[in-house]
Amino acid sequence: MKKRLWIFAFVILLILSGVIGCSQPAAPPSGGGGEESEAPEFDGEILLGIMVPVTGSEATYGKDMENAMKIAADEINAAGGVLGKEIKFTLGDDGCDPQMCTAAASKLVSSEVVAVLGGYCSGATIPALKIYGDAKIPFVITAANSTQIIDENPGWAYMINSPGYHQADAASDCFEELGVEKLAFVHQGDGFSENLAELTRDEWKDRGHEVVAYDVVNKGEQDFSSLVTKIRSSGAEGVYWTAYHADGALLIKQLRQGGYTGEITVADGSSSVQLLEIAGSAGEGVYCTSPPVVDFLPKAKQFISAYNAKYGQEPGPYAGLAYDGVYLMADAIERAGSTDPDAMREALSATDNFETLSGAIAFTPKNVLEESNFITIKGEGGKWVLVD
Amino acid sequence: MSFQEIFIQQVVNGLLLGSFYGLVALGYSMVYGIVKLLNFAHADVYMVGGFCSLTLLTLFKDTFLGNSWTGIVVSMLITMVIVGLLGVVIERIAYKPLREAPRLSLLITALGVSMILYNSVMVVTGGEYRAYKTGLGFQGISIGSVFVTHTQIILTVAAVALMLVLHLFITKTMYGKAMRAISMDLDCCRLMGVNCNKIIALTFFVGTALAASAGTMAGVYYGSLHFFMGFVIGIKAFTAAVIGGIGIIPGAMLGGLLLGLLESFGTQIPFIGSEWKDVFSFSILIIILIFKPTGLLGKKESERM
Repeated sequence: MKKRLWIFAFVILLILSGVIGCSQPAAPPSGGGGEESEAPEFDGEILLGIMVPVTGSEATYGKDMENAMKIAADEINAAGGVLGKEIKFTLGDDGCDPQMCTAAASKLVSSEVVAVLGGYCSGATIPALKIYGDAKIPFVITAANSTQIIDENPGWAYMINSPGYHQADAASDCFEELGVEKLAFVHQGDGFSENLAELTRDEWKDRGHEVVAYDVVNKGEQDFSSLVTKIRSSGAEGVYWTAYHADGALLIKQLRQGGYTGEITVADGSSSVQLLEIAGSAGEGVYCTSPPVVDFLPKAKQFISAYNAKYGQEPGPYAGLAYDGVYLMADAIERAGSTDPDAMREALSATDNFETLSGAIAFTPKNVLEESNFITIKGEGGKWVLVD
Repeated sequence: MSFQEIFIQQVVNGLLLGSFYGLVALGYSMVYGIVKLLNFAHADVYMVGGFCSLTLLTLFKDTFLGNSWTGIVVSMLITMVIVGLLGVVIERIAYKPLREAPRLSLLITALGVSMILYNSVMVVTGGEYRAYKTGLGFQGISIGSVFVTHTQIILTVAAVALMLVLHLFITKTMYGKAMRAISMDLDCCRLMGVNCNKIIALTFFVGTALAASAGTMAGVYYGSLHFFMGFVIGIKAFTAAVIGGIGIIPGAMLGGLLLGLLESFGTQIPFIGSEWKDVFSFSILIIILIFKPTGLLGKKESERM
């Protein structure tokens, strides 16, 4: 009996502490944007929708994109807004899930947003294409880049991230500039890295160069020395690794250990700084075709410090594109002169090399970037630096 | 590169890879020989060895030992002792109470130990790859276009030396004799007054220490560690042990070297990509087993098992 009383008391205590804990205010909002010197006078507002995953496995990336967009909007509003109106956002959480995406898109449409930004997971972006198309809402896709989006686009979506096949161009350009003629490909047999290796191989052949080896390494295997010998004996002057950083580092290290002296370039899955850390001195002079991540963009310094100041953390991989998307949309509305759907769409299509952090934006008739936005970076002193 | 050069280079590659397989295979073989247990946790002990030596090497980095060969050798020896003791502890806690239980229970226990080990390391390391930083460079010897780094030579020699030491230990010492006796008949040894528990613990110690040394060498050579790194090599080393004849010490070494060489040459087969190398090497292994079911050095015996 006594024991039961103790348990009862303990439970009460637990509940009490829970209630007290909850009633305390959550972490105070961070300081950024607090002291506005003088709020500009606005003539109404422009409501934009953000569709990113802020719950689920991809929440970090979605939140990061949302944060970046808010910084862009703050900057634009501080400079007087768009058409004298204030940019406001409303969020639709797609949860990186096709069903949640449909719900989020419907919510944004019913909130009467004039345009939508976002789209991180391709699978949770595609179902929204038709919804926005039917509602005549321009949709600037800032991260998702599956080629399926291109096929299913009813004409209202604009992709400002390069689709995968652009990387094949970027890699071929990179090797051509390095003066490589004979190229070896190594992938890991998974959909992504194999697809990229195939695309680049075809591109390289189309440009009239030679492919001397096309190989695969199994996941989890550590020893690539026999592959290295094969690559060396094939006379390759360049090696393109299309898979991820951990195994890429092993390959780079063993290529150098095995006496290979040619060029090495890795694809975006390997753009992590961990690759250079594991590869050590072998990582010096390795090239990488990377999406425009702000860390590598000299133009993005100011954005990074603004992000740091406001959120107390580093911007993530798609922050730059999200930030660019808001500026692109603001520019298009400005040029359209109103938020009339057809005018905005025309203005977006007519975008003529609009300068952003990640490069100039212009669209093909299929609303895909005209020029690849991949950048080339190089390992130097254990860090990735941009190659011009 | 000419044909001969490619051939020699692939032999060199195969020897190093094969000696790693051999070192890990020895542990499987010894333990199986003595307690008839497929010790699945063995591959994870290899991984733990890698992490343990990395921790030590990082500690040594700023002392007089440095992170070059002196530091590596010292950390490898300490690692072998620590991880060897871990092997003994695993045996005491997880396997010894089940020695009389059905083999299947023991097998499942081994799987459980394996999961405990790699999941713990996963939690500790956050599932990240860890760079194994050493002070070694890429200098080496080149003959024609055959290129071998000093690291490769030293590691291969070290691995083979360890195997020879083990072979001498098994064949020339009293402990070795006791191990061989237990592998023949445990109960009989007990009756003869052999301290079986002690010898079994010693077997686990030696086998585990060898795996730990292989883990260290793999870290030094490949330059990165991961909690799941034991998985693939575990399967391959186990295969090597079976091919050589499980329970037979020289068989494990032979099987390891054979598998390493087969894989190296499998990569080089003309007209097909390296993705076929495992198909190639394992097809040959199956053929070997069809003709010699007890493994290359295995004796024909139908009674004891």
